[in-house]
Amino acid sequence: MKYELVAGFETHIELSTKTKIFCGCTTQFGGEPNTHCCPVCIGLPGTLPKLNRQAVRYAIMAGLATHGEIAEVSKMDRKNYCYPDLSKAYQISQLYAPLSIGGYVELSNGRKIRLHHIHIEEDAGKLIHQHGDTYVDYNRGGVPLIEIVSEPDIRSIDEAREYVEKLQQVMRYIGISDCKMQEGSMRCDVNISVRPEGSEKFGTRTEIKNMNSINNICKAMEYEYERQVDLIESGGEVVQETLRYDDATNTTSSMRSKEDAHDYRYFRDPDLVTINVTKQEVEEIRKSLPELPAEKCRRYVQELSLPEKDAQLLTKYRNISEYFDKAIDGVKSAKTVSNFIIGQIFSRLETEADKEIFDVAVSPEQLNELVKLLDSGKIRNNLAKATLEKMLDSGKGALEFISESDMGGLDENALLELCKQAVESNPKAVDDYKNGKEKAIKAMVGFVMKNSRGKADAAAAEQKIKELIS
Amino acid sequence: MGTISKIHEMLTSKQCSCTELTKSYLDEIEKSNGELNAYVNVTDGEALKTAEAVDKKIASGEEIGLLEGVPMTLKDNLSTKGIETTCCSKILTGYKPIYNATVWDILQSQNAVMLGKTNMDEFAMGSSCETSYFGGAANPFNTNHVSGGSSGGVASAVGANIAAYGLGSDTGGSIRQPASFCGIVGLKPTYGAVSRYGLIAYASSLDQIGPITKSVEDASIVFDAISKYDEKDSTSKGYSGDTYSSLNNDIKGMKIGIAREYLDGVRDDVKQAVLNAAEVYKSLGAEIVYFDLPALKFALPVYYIIACAEASSNLGRYDGIRYGYKTEHYNGTHDMICRTRSEGFGEEVKRRILLGTYVLSAGYYDAYYKKAQNLRGTIVKAFNDAFEHCDVILAPTVPMTAFEKGRAVSDPIETYLTDICTVPVNIAGLPGVSVPCGFNANGMPIGMQLIGKSFGEATILNAAYKYQQAAGENFKDTKWGVKL
Amino acid sequence: MVTREDVENIALLSKLFVPEEELDSLTQSMQEIINFADEINKAPASDEAFDNINNLSNVFREDEVVESYSSEEILRNAPEQAEKHFLVRNRE
Repeated sequence: MKYELVAGFETHIELSTKTKIFCGCTTQFGGEPNTHCCPVCIGLPGTLPKLNRQAVRYAIMAGLATHGEIAEVSKMDRKNYCYPDLSKAYQISQLYAPLSIGGYVELSNGRKIRLHHIHIEEDAGKLIHQHGDTYVDYNRGGVPLIEIVSEPDIRSIDEAREYVEKLQQVMRYIGISDCKMQEGSMRCDVNISVRPEGSEKFGTRTEIKNMNSINNICKAMEYEYERQVDLIESGGEVVQETLRYDDATNTTSSMRSKEDAHDYRYFRDPDLVTINVTKQEVEEIRKSLPELPAEKCRRYVQELSLPEKDAQLLTKYRNISEYFDKAIDGVKSAKTVSNFIIGQIFSRLETEADKEIFDVAVSPEQLNELVKLLDSGKIRNNLAKATLEKMLDSGKGALEFISESDMGGLDENALLELCKQAVESNPKAVDDYKNGKEKAIKAMVGFVMKNSRGKADAAAAEQKIKELIS
Repeated sequence: MGTISKIHEMLTSKQCSCTELTKSYLDEIEKSNGELNAYVNVTDGEALKTAEAVDKKIASGEEIGLLEGVPMTLKDNLSTKGIETTCCSKILTGYKPIYNATVWDILQSQNAVMLGKTNMDEFAMGSSCETSYFGGAANPFNTNHVSGGSSGGVASAVGANIAAYGLGSDTGGSIRQPASFCGIVGLKPTYGAVSRYGLIAYASSLDQIGPITKSVEDASIVFDAISKYDEKDSTSKGYSGDTYSSLNNDIKGMKIGIAREYLDGVRDDVKQAVLNAAEVYKSLGAEIVYFDLPALKFALPVYYIIACAEASSNLGRYDGIRYGYKTEHYNGTHDMICRTRSEGFGEEVKRRILLGTYVLSAGYYDAYYKKAQNLRGTIVKAFNDAFEHCDVILAPTVPMTAFEKGRAVSDPIETYLTDICTVPVNIAGLPGVSVPCGFNANGMPIGMQLIGKSFGEATILNAAYKYQQAAGENFKDTKWGVKL
Repeated sequence: MVTREDVENIALLSKLFVPEEELDSLTQSMQEIINFADEINKAPASDEAFDNINNLSNVFREDEVVESYSSEEILRNAPEQAEKHFLVRNRE
């Protein structure tokens, strides 16, 4: 029997606010242990939380960027569980009235992964276990998070990978998080189950935690899919439980212990007041959002006539697309610009991280100038390519490398003169052409190009030569 | 009587220096605290340092504020930087906050002379002060009787003249009830009038800090000083204007309401004293209106459900890792936390944590917590409706007078019933002030409560002040402490 | 009905140990308190929404960094600490 994978994601994303969600401590990554702390974020008795306005705004941006509906009234709740990394023994979160409801992430196969909601909450501190002792550092405690909860709409590992990549892309685009899985600023818990293909009923799900890269997520899901299928096929039953993924052995293992009685006893946090977001505020934030990658990609294909593949490469990171948008200003063909970026500039950016940062010696304005020279016929493609290489090496503009004579082009008379020479010095080619060998004309055009040092317009030369022969 | 204005006058007229005054308070504490057990921590060093600063200011001819140099005390659940703050619980022994409660910041900036931290029921959970890890505080009218609770230490100290005034906290009556038992004045402000920042939480949506004083005038002075908006407390509003300037307003025509439900099950002597007070008001030109407030019937269970639910969450953080008591012997982190909590909390606190956990747990949330929140809305509305018909509500503070020591511990539910008249005000977030209104046959004080509209402190203090002027004989001093 | 299992479960959630010999009496005592709390279920259903006492909304902090405390101060009250961390030493 074939089994279908069913998965849903709970994705935690640390927001790039300057300060923590309920106090003024910095959110900077790292730092000496317990130096980014104050009485509030270590939960000293008597302290009270005060909500960071920017965290709410960022969460609204995340909701809008994933097509969610922003709740006019939302509230903060306490999620009670006692663990040493949680300084108050409750996490301030949202259950009953989250900030953003619904929404979706659209995949390249056209499927929409629906979101249940997005809520804001605080991060926990960090525990280090050493020789059985537990060391606690609260620097990260209280950093604002959003949790994006999807419906169980994912049906394959590829979809899972794309879902995470798309979320990462969108959140980086709108600038609310750097989404670095290695540093923990993006973390995914995956709910996974299997069911016989064609079945409507969901199987029993397990939840996998502790994966710090997209590759690990995929590996863990593959492992867990196989494990569940094997279990069912051998007559066993999947037990609903939380699993920890072990990167070194590529296996999952149960996290359950007798100490975990999971009943979070959520209730409204009496220390915090209601969050009201008006329609006008939502519209104001919506307007402030940059064009999102999916829309941009669509626009590049539809309005700029770029191939889908080009459009995807150019919209993968916000910095690239912004560069591209500036570089195409007023040019005849956006594809020309795309070719330069994907062909030449990308080859100088070795890693994905380099592409994301997109720190290029040539400014988009300089590239624009080069493309316009090409557009106007003043220079030819070969020269433009060679010039861009020099520009990328030096950071200097196109005009530094192209002389007046390079750009002169050929006037009518000079072209005519060269074409005459071409006909005279290639009698064989003239004969061949007259005998119906169309290609023979290329030899004469080549003569013109060579002798004009590339300045001649090949099409015009061909036309002229045809006239001369007939 | 050692009231604030009397002390202020003595200091400004140089009848005594602030240092002499402070020393006399400290001496009296030394003499009587063994029997009263009002203070759990005497901060004589800090007190004398502040007194010295005040004396310098007076000597240099600078003007001093009303609260400047006045010896006072704080309940031991108000965070004081560098000074042990224990909530009278074993679990917080040795804990010295690294920050100040906002109210203490305010008073300290006005050179209040803090004599020490006062006794209370553990984590403010109790009505007799006897759940304190340090044992209960005694009633200055009869030391065989309890001071009341939970702010029993403040009430005992102020009643015994070993502090001019004090700040307590009131979650279900913890300011008003001990004030009533000790024959003094206690004001529970409107929720949001005084910042809760630094008040160690019992039940966050009910807790409010307020003054316990010898007179209505003093309650007004202290309230005006501490009722400031605080950006650190998201639920803070502050009080706009003051209460002091309207204390002496004529109350002719003021409508004073009596809800019959408040008199149900109240002991006869208490009931009679409250009705006598109504007569005093009539003689002052106020109008007495009777009405029903049936929603009060459910106030007590609503209170216990909400308070315990919030407490179970607020008290989760005492785990032996960041501060306070930690168990000696354990096997692993989970075991350490459970042992620390089991050894560190007293029985009543544990009982309330368990109850709170129960009413929030899966399967019970809707029947208890959610239903209680719903009824809270009903009670809020019932009070709003009542204030359509009257300006203040007059009620007993407690259905009885201070009971003998040791009686509260035996039956939790009977003890909970002592809060029946005080909790509705907390549920509805309203201001209430307890004022002495008589004595029972054994000479124990009886208190009455004036309840106001939201942010109606000026009105209830005005009514209370007028009563004090008309019935001053009910404000009786005790044999203890500093005689001014 | 409050059962022994209920009490064991809420004790675990509350991180409190209940000695076996106290379990029965605690169960009974909890039952009494719950009976008392059950009074509210005699109240007529109402739809008075309760949110927060003064119906406050949108109380925010601006996203401006305030200097943190030193780790010495943060750790001042720690029963045990090591290398600037709070510490739970797990001895035998």
